Amino acid sequence: MKLHMFVVRRLILLVPVIVGVTILTFTISHLIPADAAAAQCGDKCGIVVGYTDDGDPITAYEANRERLGMNEPLIIQFGLYVTHLYEGDWGESSTYHRPVADVVKDAAPITLEMAFLALFIAYPLGIILGIISAVRQDRMFDHISRFFAIAFVSLPIFWFAMVLQLVFATGTESSGICDPLFGTSGGCFPIYGRHDPSLTYPVDGFASFYPVGGTGFHLIDSWFVTDAELTTLPAEFGSNWLLFKDTLLHLALPCAALGIASSGSLLRYMRASLLEVLHEDYVRTARAKGLSESKVVIVHACRNALVPIVTILGFSIGGAIGGAVLTETIFAFNGMGRVAVKSIQYLDFPVIMGVTLITAAIFLLSNLIVDILYAVIDPRVRLE
Amino acid sequence: MRGWDEGEEDRKESLKRLTEAISQSGSDIWRSWRIYRRSLLAVVGLMLVLSVVTVSIFASDIAVEHPYRNLQDTQDLWTRDYEPRRAHPFSEECDWHEQSISLTQHRRDEIVTVVAVSDNKVGESIADGYYRDTLSVIELLSLKDNKGYDLNTSLISIDPNNSSILVLSEELYDNMSLTTIWLTYEFDNEAMHLWWMPDGYDVCIFGTNNDGQDMFSKVLYGSRVSLRIGITVALLTVTIGTIVGSVAGYFGGRVDEVIMRICDVFFAIPGLILAMAFVTAMSAITSLTMPLWLGILIPILFLAVVSRTYLTSTIPQENQLSNQVMGSLVRNRNIFLGLLVFFFFVGLIPGVSWSELFGISESREWRLSAAIGIILLLGLIGLADKRFIEKSSFDGAEERVSKSLDWTNPWKYLTLRTVAVFVAAFVLFRWSGSTDDEIVVIENFGRLWKIQAALIFTGWPGYARLIRGQVLYVKEMTFVEAAKSVGAPPGRIMFRHILPNAWAPLLVAFTLDIGGTILSASGLSFIGLGAAPGTAEWGLLVSDSRQFFVFDPHLMLFPGLAIAVTTLGFNLLGDGIRDVLDPKNRR
Repeated sequence: MKLHMFVVRRLILLVPVIVGVTILTFTISHLIPADAAAAQCGDKCGIVVGYTDDGDPITAYEANRERLGMNEPLIIQFGLYVTHLYEGDWGESSTYHRPVADVVKDAAPITLEMAFLALFIAYPLGIILGIISAVRQDRMFDHISRFFAIAFVSLPIFWFAMVLQLVFATGTESSGICDPLFGTSGGCFPIYGRHDPSLTYPVDGFASFYPVGGTGFHLIDSWFVTDAELTTLPAEFGSNWLLFKDTLLHLALPCAALGIASSGSLLRYMRASLLEVLHEDYVRTARAKGLSESKVVIVHACRNALVPIVTILGFSIGGAIGGAVLTETIFAFNGMGRVAVKSIQYLDFPVIMGVTLITAAIFLLSNLIVDILYAVIDPRVRLE
Repeated sequence: MRGWDEGEEDRKESLKRLTEAISQSGSDIWRSWRIYRRSLLAVVGLMLVLSVVTVSIFASDIAVEHPYRNLQDTQDLWTRDYEPRRAHPFSEECDWHEQSISLTQHRRDEIVTVVAVSDNKVGESIADGYYRDTLSVIELLSLKDNKGYDLNTSLISIDPNNSSILVLSEELYDNMSLTTIWLTYEFDNEAMHLWWMPDGYDVCIFGTNNDGQDMFSKVLYGSRVSLRIGITVALLTVTIGTIVGSVAGYFGGRVDEVIMRICDVFFAIPGLILAMAFVTAMSAITSLTMPLWLGILIPILFLAVVSRTYLTSTIPQENQLSNQVMGSLVRNRNIFLGLLVFFFFVGLIPGVSWSELFGISESREWRLSAAIGIILLLGLIGLADKRFIEKSSFDGAEERVSKSLDWTNPWKYLTLRTVAVFVAAFVLFRWSGSTDDEIVVIENFGRLWKIQAALIFTGWPGYARLIRGQVLYVKEMTFVEAAKSVGAPPGRIMFRHILPNAWAPLLVAFTLDIGGTILSASGLSFIGLGAAPGTAEWGLLVSDSRQFFVFDPHLMLFPGLAIAVTTLGFNLLGDGIRDVLDPKNRR
């Protein structure tokens, strides 16, 4: 099969899943107890807003039901739901008083930034330890690293994040919280927030210095802050590099928590994969050629052992986004997880569904990319 | 008709077989254990799991106080009492108690004594009332007037006959300028003295929380909640996943494709987020009623029946009658599959929407009749068994009943399936009840139930995929072919040939999943979606400690460690079992 055929086939397979996700979210949002029509009119539901042809009064509540299509059969309601989704009308958030699409659009980059950076920590850590573990199979290092792999998987991520805060973000003296800049007071990390408090001012409900028009990824946006804007900032953030460093420092602890927690399973995958490859014929051939062991492992074995690791990438992104729900809550990042948790407290259902849909979209997209990548690296996959 | 005496041979034979099976499995277990104990980590894992289970069983005996005990009750004498809040582990303050005594009230009521106890109030939950303990005073530590100046502690003495009674001296009564006094004393809270600790260590070992409750007791009781959630959820997800997955594996083709796409839908949304949405959506449900329960059950039972039919139809020597009845199920399986998908998504909407959907008025009668009708339907499907249809005439029914129920050899019925049916029946019976207008399967469908439902809802696709792969693999093996060719009944092929060869990864996944479930459940509790506030649940305890954790890390350290250790135990155990089941280690 040609590569483009594979991609097309993969895209076709995506369609039923997308349809399924919309059915699922529709079903869940119809489980909700809260009556959307009653929520919109509040205490004015009883007010008569008009009369039917027969002269019966229509209350505001009934008018809302009519307008929202709640009197229609479920199938028609589903049709309306899908149409609205497609048009970008995801409903209005009652917590943020903004369209849900905007809320999610602002929150998604924050979560993604955290998840990606966490994977940047998890992958090298997991892969390198996995390689060493496999090479030194059944020796002390192997046992220890395998134990830690299981221990990392078993850590409750929210608790681990709090322990990291306790160790790296609070001072030793009883006065407690330390200066949130690395190096200035005993070398500790900022305890929470996405950037320094002096950089924040409320814009549209979100505390952010960065202009709204940017990518939303502050690690990137910090390099595009103009000199004119920089001069308005406090002196310790007077350059792009300092802004970048500030963002990075704030990301360090949450990403470490997420990354270490997800490195455990990666380590095990890598170890298993490499152990399998080390028994292959071509590795024996390479050894027989008289290559040094390090060259055999790194050049011949690892490159092949890494191929299956690529497939987990898609799942890791999903896992990292799921874990980010918890770390965001702890580190006060206004990402999707925190937004979802907040809207759950106020039963703001459109936002929850928006977050669910967008995470599903991100997950499906990343899996698609990973699958195509896999097909490019390993042509055998295309033959199925 | 055979009597009890005639059945003796059969009884002996059955008993012999049972004993053999047990001794065989005994030696199997011994061999497995020898493989298992090779790995130190696995043994450690087993120890951890065993100790957590032990702790959860004996929590009420080991714990120093009931997790809901609270002296800061809002009632009478104890209104302004002070129980050491957030006392650190091993601190003496755990046994201190500060109490305010209103002298004006005492003068008015002419009470000469003040008692350091209140009635013991016993309740199972916070709503029922807090637990209180009888405090016997050991030593008076300080006495202050209402302005905070120290007074001589000799103004108050402990009643020599009853150390729970404090006697106020005449001087205190005479001094009209004193209205309130603050008294701090060390009390001998019998519960605080851990019976298994040496003398001199009678202190709270995990400290106390913001409400003055003993953390050690809370953490101990938390193990009950977590284990319950972990094991229930893992069991139910395994059951659902196995049924769905084996159906997908057997049918193959379009059926497989549809089921796997449904699984993909679930995989597409991160589990925690889906569970969050699901828990929130369920917030109005207070009891799991029959229509709702059936909405969950029907798809599963349908799948089970279809898979059975499919299996039956693959066997060459097939009973014609059952083919006629069940064959239609197989022939119209696309329609049924549509119904399955339909029920799966729509059936989960509470009963109200059911009636909306079918345009039937929403009344108690309708729901009851619908529930009864569906039960009857299910019963019919269940009874549409080969043997039942064969003999579906009422001639000589009595004889047939006595024949089909071989009471001369009761051992014959002692099989895994019988036990499972009885356990399931008992569990359903135990949980079910009824309210005014509904048949209720699970009464008090509280928040803990909701997390469990959400975790089952999000968890089954993983198992479905796993078992599907296994079934696909085992189905093709020669021994299955061989079993089919000698005419083994489908149930036998399923239970004796395919499942024993497919269960190994399932068991491993199951063990690992208990740990995973405990993690997810505590995560949900942490963000405020799990257990009700005040419950002794580990995730909730960590969450409660968040605002104090910088200065009082012990509040968050111990419950978190408990989660980590329990999960680690199950994960290590799962790994150990994997090693045991690995054919490479079988030597």
